[in-house]
Amino acid sequence: MDLSFLLFLSSGLFLGWSLGASDASNIFGTAVGTKMVKFRTAAVISSVFIIIGAVYAGSGTSQTLGHLGSINTLPGAFMSALAAALTIYWMVELSMPISTSQAIVGAIVGWNFFAGKPTDVSILSQIVSTWVVCPILSGLIAVFLYWLVRVIIRKSHTHLLRQDTYTRVGLIVAGAFGAYALGANNIANVMGVFVASSPLQSVSFGFGITLSGTQVLFLIGGIAISVGVATYSRKVMNTIGNSIMKMSPLMAWVVVVSQALVLFLFASQNLKHFLISYGLPSLPLVPVSSSQAVIGAVMGIGLARGGKSLHWDLIGKISISWVTTPIIAAGVCYISLFFLQNVFGQVVFLP
Amino acid sequence: MRLKFKPFESNKMFHLNLSLFSKTKSLENKIDLFHDKLLDAAMTFKKAVRVFLDEGRSENYKKLSKQVKQIEHDADNLRRDIENNLYTQNLIPDLRADVLHLVENLDKVINKFDEVTYMFYIEKPEIDQNYHIRINELCDLSAECAENMAKASRAFFRDLSSVRDYSQKVYFIEHESDLSADNLRKAIFDSELPLANKLQLSNFINEIANIGDIAEDFIDELLIFTIKRDI
Repeated sequence: MDLSFLLFLSSGLFLGWSLGASDASNIFGTAVGTKMVKFRTAAVISSVFIIIGAVYAGSGTSQTLGHLGSINTLPGAFMSALAAALTIYWMVELSMPISTSQAIVGAIVGWNFFAGKPTDVSILSQIVSTWVVCPILSGLIAVFLYWLVRVIIRKSHTHLLRQDTYTRVGLIVAGAFGAYALGANNIANVMGVFVASSPLQSVSFGFGITLSGTQVLFLIGGIAISVGVATYSRKVMNTIGNSIMKMSPLMAWVVVVSQALVLFLFASQNLKHFLISYGLPSLPLVPVSSSQAVIGAVMGIGLARGGKSLHWDLIGKISISWVTTPIIAAGVCYISLFFLQNVFGQVVFLP
Repeated sequence: MRLKFKPFESNKMFHLNLSLFSKTKSLENKIDLFHDKLLDAAMTFKKAVRVFLDEGRSENYKKLSKQVKQIEHDADNLRRDIENNLYTQNLIPDLRADVLHLVENLDKVINKFDEVTYMFYIEKPEIDQNYHIRINELCDLSAECAENMAKASRAFFRDLSSVRDYSQKVYFIEHESDLSADNLRKAIFDSELPLANKLQLSNFINEIANIGDIAEDFIDELLIFTIKRDI
């Protein structure tokens, strides 16, 4: 592997690290914050399953991003990922509910503009529509699960202590599934822009395990996310568990499963093929925001409990971020590509 | 040919299940046992007061008084065990403080039964025959309050929908117990008894009626904890 490749990949790795630091809290935040699951357990499970999800099932969403814009040089991919990372940083500073997916899509469109490549409007509108569908779908699934769990608990007369054990096991299993779905769905955000320009070749690990060049790229991205989980997510998990969203461990389970199912639905090629083979409508394979899926699920449960939990200010912020995040990312990417090309003399696109 | 069936997989599952729940199973039993102690204390208290009113500080009464003391002692040990296990095994972290609070308040009622039974033993109050029925009635109501409190608390652990039913009973019985105590106090102070006797009996009535008040306060908290416990 050549050093310049690693240098150009650094922006993607940084994006992966920040995704791991922030989004792992969506999976295990409440479980760790409420001391139901130890941080070390959460970090190990998250890391392993994020990598498995990314390597095994990450190609679907990456292909969709590839159809939106196939960034064909490493410097171009580097700057697109960096522009997305800078946008995320800025949005975090403004306390906006950020989405890596929206930032990276904006950056790709910015690259398309700069390179003079056409942007497939049908794909773009498909992606944008999933941003709106994602929290709504997550909310609906959460409402269904909430009622289901409530009925089971009321009918089963399970002892509080036994329920506690079931909840712990459930949180770990749901966390593993959530991590797998996060890896499968969001690896495209981290490594998607590098797929077309990556020089990586397929690698054989023995025992019949061979990873294609793209899978090796996703493995590196998955490891970057895992490093983010291990090094920085503890603080975020404790914040999530103790202050922002005060949830019972059972409610947390419902939220994690809802979020994971949504991410899985938007990432699973097998599921898509299965639905298509039976003539059923399928969902597009698009990277979606796990944070916004969580917010959708929490609001869904709030409504199901009959509370006035439609936080219009939060809905407003999310709606604004659907528009502002990609536009800012596109602008930052366009300007940065200009500098990279004209000041640093890098080839940021091939005609 | 005889086939030998080895349920290997099911055994494995069984072991997994057993080890996963063995810790909580033992604690579940302790919590159940603790509630049983409260029910035992309430029933023994009722019986002891009846015996005292009939026989005074007889051998029978001493035996029952010791029995209540033993129940209180066992309950204290169970309470410590439950509290230790909840912390050392890091169980129900979100509800642990609530459960500890409940267990301590249940223990307060058991202590009260012991305290009142011992008061009868030490002070040997002279109680006129006219008041026996009403004192028995007051003791029955206080014990019934404690019994329903124990049932409500047990339901908190297993069957949330029943908590409200038992709580309602506690509120109702506590009100009856207050009325009964007021009437009894009024009757005592309207009587020709010496003031010292009146004050002594009034103190006893307060102590017995206090059991219902503790149960009522317990239920107030339990209902809040139930809302928290519901998903």
